[in-house]
Order: sequence, then structure tokens, then C-alpha cells
Amino acid sequence: MLEKTGVATEQDLQKAIPSKERLAKGPVAIIECFQRIPCNPCYTSCKKGAIKEFEDINDTPEINVEICNGCAVCVSNCPGLSIVVVDETYSEQEALVKIPYEFLPLPEEGSFVTGLDREGKAVCRAKVVKVLNTKAMDRTPIVSLAVPKDLSMTVRFMKLNDIYSDNTFVCRCEELTMGELRELIRKGFNTIDEIKRISRAGMGPCQGRTCRQLIMQELAAATGAKMSEMPISTFRPPVKPIKLGTIAGGADHE
Amino acid sequence: MNNTASVVIIGGGISGCSIAYNLAKKGVKDIVVIEKKYLTSGSTGRCGAGIRMQWGTEMNCRLAKFSTEFYENANDILEYDGDIEFKQGGYLIVAATEKEDVQFRKNVALQNSLGIPTVYLTPKEAKEIIPHMDETKIISATFCQKDGHLNPFHATQAYADAAARLGVKFMKYTEVTGIKVENNKIVGVQTDKGFISAPVVVNAAGGYSKQIGDMVGADIPVYAERHQILVTEPVNPIQNPMFMSFSLNIYCQQTPHGSFIMGRGDANEPRDLRVTSSWHFLEEMAKDCCELLPLLKDIRVVRQWAGLYCMSPDRQPIYGKVDNVEGFYLATGFSGHGFMFGPVTGVVIAETILGEKSSLPIDKLGMERFAKGELLFEPSVV
Repeated sequence: MLEKTGVATEQDLQKAIPSKERLAKGPVAIIECFQRIPCNPCYTSCKKGAIKEFEDINDTPEINVEICNGCAVCVSNCPGLSIVVVDETYSEQEALVKIPYEFLPLPEEGSFVTGLDREGKAVCRAKVVKVLNTKAMDRTPIVSLAVPKDLSMTVRFMKLNDIYSDNTFVCRCEELTMGELRELIRKGFNTIDEIKRISRAGMGPCQGRTCRQLIMQELAAATGAKMSEMPISTFRPPVKPIKLGTIAGGADHE
Repeated sequence: MNNTASVVIIGGGISGCSIAYNLAKKGVKDIVVIEKKYLTSGSTGRCGAGIRMQWGTEMNCRLAKFSTEFYENANDILEYDGDIEFKQGGYLIVAATEKEDVQFRKNVALQNSLGIPTVYLTPKEAKEIIPHMDETKIISATFCQKDGHLNPFHATQAYADAAARLGVKFMKYTEVTGIKVENNKIVGVQTDKGFISAPVVVNAAGGYSKQIGDMVGADIPVYAERHQILVTEPVNPIQNPMFMSFSLNIYCQQTPHGSFIMGRGDANEPRDLRVTSSWHFLEEMAKDCCELLPLLKDIRVVRQWAGLYCMSPDRQPIYGKVDNVEGFYLATGFSGHGFMFGPVTGVVIAETILGEKSSLPIDKLGMERFAKGELLFEPSVV
């Protein structure tokens, strides 16, 4: 039940998914909009006239897939984020799924993310082929994901690869976990220097070699700040741990 | 940002946060704390964070006792959701010269008369407290179990969180660029994020308090002196108290976390606001440490850093008003003891601003003592 779960039913989808023949010809928009609501930007945005004029603004859209060339203009115009473009001709093994993606940070082109199905379950590893984010798209960027061809009708969203669970150690010397780090960021410790001082992350024998990057990545993910513009923590001597006796130049000098 | 405030506090260290908390607790609204970087980024976050009641003057003993008793209960009083990590492992202060030994006997008598439980120890007795020390280098020692060490980041955060709950606004990464004075009265503070009009400004800027004073034309007789510290990798607990010597110029403490922190004073250190580290310090510190506490020679140093002592002519704090600038208050000149006096600073500055009678003996700590030549003498400082 779409109304209760937010997930389209098989029956609904049957109506929305184009024929194998059409899919074999190239990119096409798939409109998974099954609720009667007063909304028509898909129709107004379509330059090709592939989406039929609405008789009643409450109608659900009808698309002529033979006219549609998969330009994806409707994808970022749909306020409900209900439209994707699928290109099954992308490669031998993979299909391209273009999804609207309104979260920050945006994935990086060339990186791998987790493909999600309509229920939000992880179904595959997907490569980010392109991220389009023009002014005309009005903050609804389109992410093109290369997914296994048999999942072209399954993958409808993505999440950034969250390979770190809350139990993952970010700082191995001082045993700060990702969960603790995330809590600190939520409390407003928004620079690596503040996190270092309140949590000791980076103060141990390795002097932040492991955790520095991880903390900055997490800060970027949580705050939307760019890693390249983040102030880094102070690098302090002696860089590698040295015995007091060695520094003093005693009899045990190594 | 707020463009008006009743009180602007310059400096987000232990002093600034403690003052903000105490003022807010007394009902003052619209308090703003301005911090150039992040909380504790100046001297507070760089200090050794020890606290002792073993002083040589009655005033300092009383003030230190107040601070110690506050920190003992600070987690509860400030309702902190973390832990300020106050470890009362004691301070073992060793006498290496006859003169020190004579002074220490007097100190113990004074401290005991004020209810501070210090004991005078022979070298053999001292060695029982720190078994890995070379007792042949000392004449005697004094020990107070109630002295200790805490985590400066959490102690400051505890104050800041409590202050924020009472409505205090913190402006991090904001730099004060000027202070506006009209008709000898404070009008407001110029920052790189805008102007804040306020009738009261507190200078709690630590190593930078001279520069802040200059902005209103108040010639505060302080200078910033670099002091250095090193910290080792954490090891199992082997040293409970702080080991300290004035004449041998060392303090060395094992934190609850396991790492050793040690530092020293050096009158030849630069006075130009530099906080870089030197190899010279590392070598001298390591040499003396290995001589006095030989067992530590195999522990590895992981990091060294430096911070600024805000030195006053008599090495005592400067609290209160300045002549000719109404609304300008000082909490400065701590000369290396600002962290341990943090709880005192908050109380006395809040009382001074509100015109209340001071509940602590700080009447000799005003600016006027320098003009009158009434400097205070404290025999027990590093």
C-alpha cells in the first residue's frame, strides 16, 4: 500500500515501466507517480511534449515513451522526486540510473556509493558516473549511477558509502568511535582542533595519522564543509615517539 | 550575531567561561564571550592543569583552597554531562636547597593553620610516595593529598555548557579588533564579525591581555612569556602525585589517562606571543627528568607544545577595574596559575562588576598595587 508504506506496489509499477523494446533503444524517463495530487511541473518542464497535458491537475502523469529521449529535465523538476531516467544501453553489464539527490554532501564523480531499492534497502555497489547540479536544477542535482543491468528497475536511490558504523574506531590510540565523534559534531564541536581537545583523538602515539583524515571526512559529511577548506590540526614535534632517555642522550642512547 | 550585550568577555579560556557562568548565575542577561579561535585554544588548553593548595602566602592558600573545593564538586555544581577528570593524587614538592627547606617548614605551618592538610617529609618518606625518584637529590619534601590535576578542556567546557544553559552566547572564531571608549566609558567592542555595543568589557585574554588593554589605553604591566610542555605515551599508573621542584625547575605529573606531562619555566623564553616548540626545551627537560625520575627514561615522548604565561610584576593575578576607563575589568596577569584560579576568577570578577562585596580575599590584587609599589611576595612559584 503506497499510502501506508511510501513504497510503490508491483501493480503500480507495471504501469510505469516501459517495454523491453523501448528500454533497449536508450534512455527514458520512468515516472513513478501514483497518487492523485494537484501537481504538474513534469508536464510543463518537458520540452519534447512527451508528457501529456493534464486534463485535471490532480491527474497522475502519462508519458509517451516513444517521444521521450531521456533528457532528464523532468527529473529535477518533479517536486516529489518521483522520476528517474534509466538507460539500459549504458554498457554490456550495467545500466545507468539517473536519480534526483537533494542531500549534502554530493557524491564525487568516480566514487562508489550504495544503491538502494524503493524501500531504502541496500542492493548493490554503484559507481557515480556523473553529478549534474546546474542553477536551472534549483538545488535538485541529478546523480547518474552505473548499476548492474538486472537492477535497473530496482535501484531508485543511493547513500554515500557509510563504511563506518557507530562502533568503528576513528582514533585507535585514544579509542574514539565514530558514534562518539558523530555525537560531538552534533553538540557543535565543528573543527578538528575542538574535537581533538575534547575527545583526545589525535593525541596518542600515532599523533593523528589515522584519525585526522577520518575526522575531516566525517566533518565534511556532517556539516557540508569542504575538506579542502577546513583548518587542519596542528602538527606537533617530535612527530615520532622518542624515549625520554634517548632525548636526554643517556647511556641507553640508541 | 548579537549587536548589543550587557557584558562582553574577551577570551574563551577557563577565566572567561568561569566569569560568564558566575555572572549569568547571578542573573545577568545578554552576556557574550568572544573567542578568537575555539574554547581553550589559548593558555587554558596549553597549561599543565595542575592545582595545588601548597602556597607561601595566606591569600594564595585561601584562594587555592576555594578553587580546589570547587573543582571537587564541579561535575555536580555545573551539571556537566562529561567528567572534568579531577584526580587528587597530591603534589609532592621537593626542597633541593637549604633555603627551600626553611621556607617549606614555614609554608606547612601556614597551610595547616588554614586547614590545608600538608605534611612535611624526609627524603625517605617522600620516596615512599614516588618510589621511582632519586631521593639523594633532595633535602626534604612537602605533600598535600588534596592537590591534583584535571582536564582543562573538560573543565572549561563544563563552565561553558553551564553558562550557555543560562543564556550566555559564545562567539567562537571571532577576533576583537578594537574597543570603543567615549568619555572614559566603554561603549562597545569591534570584532571581525561586527560591532557589539556593551557598557562592560572584561579582559580575560590571557597571553593577549596586554594587547586588549592597549585598545582602551590601559597600560597593564604584563607580558606574555612562552612556556613549554611535553607529554608522553600513556603507561600504567606508576606515579600518583605531581612531582614538583622550584629550584630544580620541574613539574611532572602522570594524568589519569596514563601519559606523563612535564614542563618548566625559563626566563630566556621569547616574549613575542610565539607558541612554537624548541628542541632545547625537549633536551633539557628530558635530561632533568631522567636524573630525578630515572624510571621514566624508557617512556616515549609523543608531543610537545607551548603556551603563554601572562606575567605580572609580582607573579600574582590582576583583578578588577582600571583607572579612567569605566566598564573595563581585568582578569589577567596569572603568571602561569590562571587555570587553577579559574573558579576564584569567576566569582570575584562577577562580584566586582555587580558592585558586591568580595567574598574572597582579593583586595590586594588590584591594579593600584603597582602604582603604590605594594607588590605581593609569593615564595612558591615555578
